[in-house]
Amino acid sequence: MTIPLTVIGGFLGAGKTTLVNHLLATGAKRWGVLVNDFGAINVDAALIAASDGQTMALTNGCVCCTMGDDLGDGLAAMAARIPPPEHVIVEASGVSDPWRIAQMALIEPGFNLEPLVVLVDATAFPAQLDDRWTGDTVARQLAFAEIVVITKIDLADAAQLVMVHVRIAELRPQARVIETAHASLPDTALSFTPPARPQASRFHADDVTHAFPTQRIAADRQFDRDRLRWVLGMLPASVLRLKGVCLLGGERVLLQYAAERWAFTPAPEGLANGMVAIGTPEMPDLEGLFEEAR
Amino acid sequence: MANNPKVTVFSARRVVTLDPSQPISTHVAVRNGRIIGHGGPEVVGQFGGTLDARFADKVIVPGFIEGHGHATDGLMWRQPYVGYFARTAPDGSRQGGFRSVAEVVGHLKAIEATMPPGKPLVSWGFDPIYFDGPRMTVEDLDIIAPDRMVVVAHVSGHILNVNTKVLIAAGFSADSNIDGLVRGQNGQLTGELQGPAVMGRANRATGDGGLLRELDVAGLRDYGRIARRVGVTTSTDLANAMTPANVAAMRTATAEPDFPIRLVPAMRAREYSIEDGLARIAELRKLSTPTLQFGLVKLVVDGSIQGFTARLRWPGYHNGAPNGLWYISPAELEATVKSYHAAGHHLHIHTNGDEASELATEMIGRAIEAHPRADHRHTLQHCQMADSGIFRRMKTFGMCVNLFANHLYYWGDQHAKHTMGPSRVRRLDACNTALASGVPLAIHSDTPVTPVDPLFTMWCAVNRLSSTGVVLGDAERITPAQALHAVTLGAAYTLKMDHLIGSIEVGKYADFAVLDDDPLTVDPTAIKDIPVVATVMGGQVFAT
Repeated sequence: MTIPLTVIGGFLGAGKTTLVNHLLATGAKRWGVLVNDFGAINVDAALIAASDGQTMALTNGCVCCTMGDDLGDGLAAMAARIPPPEHVIVEASGVSDPWRIAQMALIEPGFNLEPLVVLVDATAFPAQLDDRWTGDTVARQLAFAEIVVITKIDLADAAQLVMVHVRIAELRPQARVIETAHASLPDTALSFTPPARPQASRFHADDVTHAFPTQRIAADRQFDRDRLRWVLGMLPASVLRLKGVCLLGGERVLLQYAAERWAFTPAPEGLANGMVAIGTPEMPDLEGLFEEAR
Repeated sequence: MANNPKVTVFSARRVVTLDPSQPISTHVAVRNGRIIGHGGPEVVGQFGGTLDARFADKVIVPGFIEGHGHATDGLMWRQPYVGYFARTAPDGSRQGGFRSVAEVVGHLKAIEATMPPGKPLVSWGFDPIYFDGPRMTVEDLDIIAPDRMVVVAHVSGHILNVNTKVLIAAGFSADSNIDGLVRGQNGQLTGELQGPAVMGRANRATGDGGLLRELDVAGLRDYGRIARRVGVTTSTDLANAMTPANVAAMRTATAEPDFPIRLVPAMRAREYSIEDGLARIAELRKLSTPTLQFGLVKLVVDGSIQGFTARLRWPGYHNGAPNGLWYISPAELEATVKSYHAAGHHLHIHTNGDEASELATEMIGRAIEAHPRADHRHTLQHCQMADSGIFRRMKTFGMCVNLFANHLYYWGDQHAKHTMGPSRVRRLDACNTALASGVPLAIHSDTPVTPVDPLFTMWCAVNRLSSTGVVLGDAERITPAQALHAVTLGAAYTLKMDHLIGSIEVGKYADFAVLDDDPLTVDPTAIKDIPVVATVMGGQVFAT
């Protein structure tokens, strides 16, 4: 089994820590959260089972760890926990490019890269984009976002909110956009494929309809290495993820693709051959394209 | 009378004092590790001292101060150095000076043959930008040892070359296509890893900590050896996490009677929340001794120019590379600067790109408006691209600067070609504009990024020659006297130690560099070649 992994980005004040605090406090799943520092993590002291400055274990099964410059270190520590978390959340720092962090997860065979979620503050986003010191950072954070969450909508008027949607659409038309008042998302917003039975959440949020179509791609025949690389390079921006086990050069390998970046790692035991593509509604039929690689 | 009334008078061909009331002497009298007088031969009689004439034909200057160095330099030498420019190891041997990939590979192969099996071979200081011919490849490193992990770290700090064994251990496949993995013409990985994400993964595979290692006493002793050999009597350690282990190592090493330098570590603020950092630095200040001074707080605003991670204003990088990302958001920088400033602390702020320097200056200005405070001496470190406008504002806000003069030589050609372009490179480390604007100036090496050697750093600021011999910005040259000031009293000022060190004046510590010739009178192009004969620290002589 692989562990779902969601990277959450967004500029300072967008609500990332609020979201993380909500997830940890509710414990709807056994979340494993990687943060840059514990400073802003604020869970009820009664909920803390153990804390050593780098790892905070909660009585509800959740765990929160600090990560250094190497995401892989933090992920390895998460995967080694007994029991391992059901879903890992990485909170990117407010000035980092979350896509640079997310793509490192492509070479982690034990993890499944879920949508890149980027939070924007309804009251501050346009001004941040126009600020001479922060504009390029905020724009870069949106460049590969797959779910954009507009937070603090209760503090914005209708005209402000329209402008936020316009600016998001200019930067990243492929992204699905969700609105929330308090960065309190249902956990279904953190996965491409929502669970069959939505889990109860005591937080209100808009009904989340998933606009991410999926396609299965047969992988029972050998791919040619060079032609597969060519095909991967040709995939349109509407293909957000491609993941699965295929046959390449006589070996079973796990392919993970996201936004023009991909990695092959040795296939873990127990995964059947076959790949799944996840995309926006504009995603074309991919079977013909992949036939070129066989 | 002091507890040791014994006075020693050192005589020299010249004593360059930087004492405005007598700039040049020939004799300097020392009692209890401090300067009690200086002047002509009459000093011996005036203070009843014993003449020590061993430096009678030498030139004594104030001990040099490395205003931006890293004591981790002392740890680096446990691994082989493979740089293009030769540099001196703690034992005094000259290392590196390799002119081709083949020379580096040959050197590492010889070392590999002596190593026990299994241990990774990690080398540092690789600098291929002046090599002709193809770049280093994974095949080159596989020749050294197919069964051992081999890593060659570039001197820039932003690139690693690794062999196949490391690629496999890190999970980098020939078919992977993620940012930071360099490919050759054939589409295969070349083994070159760019950027912290992929480098961090490789370091995890080898178990090597990279630059951010814990200090230990032996490493500090080695750093002391390296520094005193080039005339340094005080050095900063400008990015210290201040872990209990680091602090204990520094307290032990600097208390040893033969430790040859005073150490001035700066606390890396990002290791702490603002509240915890304020408490930590207040607690550290109480541990200061004459050879270990706490008090500096280090902030980092952007990355490096040659790594394309610095924040540049318009028109950005000359080659069109995207701008770097902030290491701290403008709002967090403002809050951090204000908090430390209001609490009376002393900030040293890393800014490389001109946008980073502009931002840090703005935030210090806001802090001063909110909490007026004289003599804070907040210092921009590197500040390599600042123009006259930024320096004017720095003057207005009472800031200091420590410019990275060594960059002119080591990366000047790269900056002219790729990062800053032919016009802006003229203001790379603009020492003359800083002084003309009235901003107190120090100059530095950032060792181990470039070797600590204040005479060399002076030479860079005076001559502004790149390593291919091109003059970069003739108008930004400063005089040898200004450059000497920048590595002595100027640096002391940025550390708030100018009442203790940096010149030869009565009451100050007897810290001297003893030189074979006078940097103020030799041909300015020969300043870097003046032999350092000895240092004196607190009156104690260390022969080099």
